[in-house]
Amino acid sequence: MHTALAILLGGVAAMCWLGCIGMLRMKTPTEALHYLALPAGFGAMFLVAAVSIEEGWSSATAKMILIAVLMLAFNSVVAHATARALRVRALGHWQPSPEDGVEYLPAGSDEERR
Amino acid sequence: MNVWLLASCAVGLCLVPCAAMCLQGSPERRLVGLEMTGTIVTLLLVLLTMGFHRPILMDLPLTVAIMSLAAGLVFARFLEKQL
Repeated sequence: MHTALAILLGGVAAMCWLGCIGMLRMKTPTEALHYLALPAGFGAMFLVAAVSIEEGWSSATAKMILIAVLMLAFNSVVAHATARALRVRALGHWQPSPEDGVEYLPAGSDEERR
Repeated sequence: MNVWLLASCAVGLCLVPCAAMCLQGSPERRLVGLEMTGTIVTLLLVLLTMGFHRPILMDLPLTVAIMSLAAGLVFARFLEKQL
């Protein structure tokens, strides 16, 4: 049981670090937003497994499952709202419109240079 | 020191890149750093709760998980025009 716990908690730490490093390395904020999903998705699920191994079925496990579900749901809502806000800030509107011309590419992104 | 506290040390160090993201760069990048910080702190509080054998304190990360939704949405809303 101790080994399984160590592997799962190692997975939690790895997901958090991968998310943070990816967030830092990305050039544009919109690209960096994607890396929020690693700790919020996989990290939370590994933690649910670890808590249920440690505690069995208890109120702590039930709350941890609730936390993981909330994190999964809220992370997607906040990421979408943030991406939309970034677009409004850059273009003044979020709806796609013909005046935008080509798909809006943030300055310095790889797609723009190709 | 148990395996939970070891994992919380590793996850706690993730706050350093989050701080680097929040303290420099454009407002848009700082907002992404704030949202990542909320996620990391939620997981960190769960690890500390289990590490100190206080499962009754699981309400704390539950509250942080809910509050980080509100924080992200409020800042995203302001970022559109006001900030």
